[in-house]
Amino acid sequence: MVIEALVTSVLTVLIPIYVVSFLLYVVRVVKGPTIPDRVLAIDSLGYDLAAFMVVLSILLKSPLMVVSGLALALWVYAFDIYIAKYLEAKEMGE
Amino acid sequence: MIDLVLVVAGLVLISIGVFYDFVGAIGLLRLPNFYTRLHAATAGAIGGAVVPMIGTALVALGADYLGPPRFFLAGAAFASSILLMVLAQAGSHAIARAAYISGEAPREPILHDALKDRGGE
Repeated sequence: MVIEALVTSVLTVLIPIYVVSFLLYVVRVVKGPTIPDRVLAIDSLGYDLAAFMVVLSILLKSPLMVVSGLALALWVYAFDIYIAKYLEAKEMGE
Repeated sequence: MIDLVLVVAGLVLISIGVFYDFVGAIGLLRLPNFYTRLHAATAGAIGGAVVPMIGTALVALGADYLGPPRFFLAGAAFASSILLMVLAQAGSHAIARAAYISGEAPREPILHDALKDRGGE
């Protein structure tokens, strides 16, 4: 019983800090002067959202969100590669 | 006893990850141009995503009250943390190379451009 109280109390303290840092990333996405800045902000936003899903799935006691966290991480990586490919060679590899 | 050790270790890793995430977000806002922001983004991506996932896996292993599905959570968290450790770096490197070659990102506050001497476009 001690462990459950410990885990829920610590996580309820940490989750708001996660959300605040997401807002800071969104500020950089909106403000980013150039395209690579925006890609970088979306990149780390996506990865940290995936980690947030995994951390949240402990609080919600169900392992369903971990799979979508993994899929989001893969998607953000593909997003990086597509934009890098477009910036370099002006083609998307079709 | 071992459960408590696992849970405490996991929670410490998660709080370290949250700290990295917050610092990365602030770094992304305050650093002057794209190439310095790369450091903040990758620190935020690795410290803020991989470390909490490993921490979550430890907490999931230690917390008995979650019941049997907690092992799926621990396994998937470990797998995605290892995958993320590889992908985050490769993606950031690809976008940094593309930004340098296409000249999309300004290089203003710069002391020495090593790539230019080596014939970088």
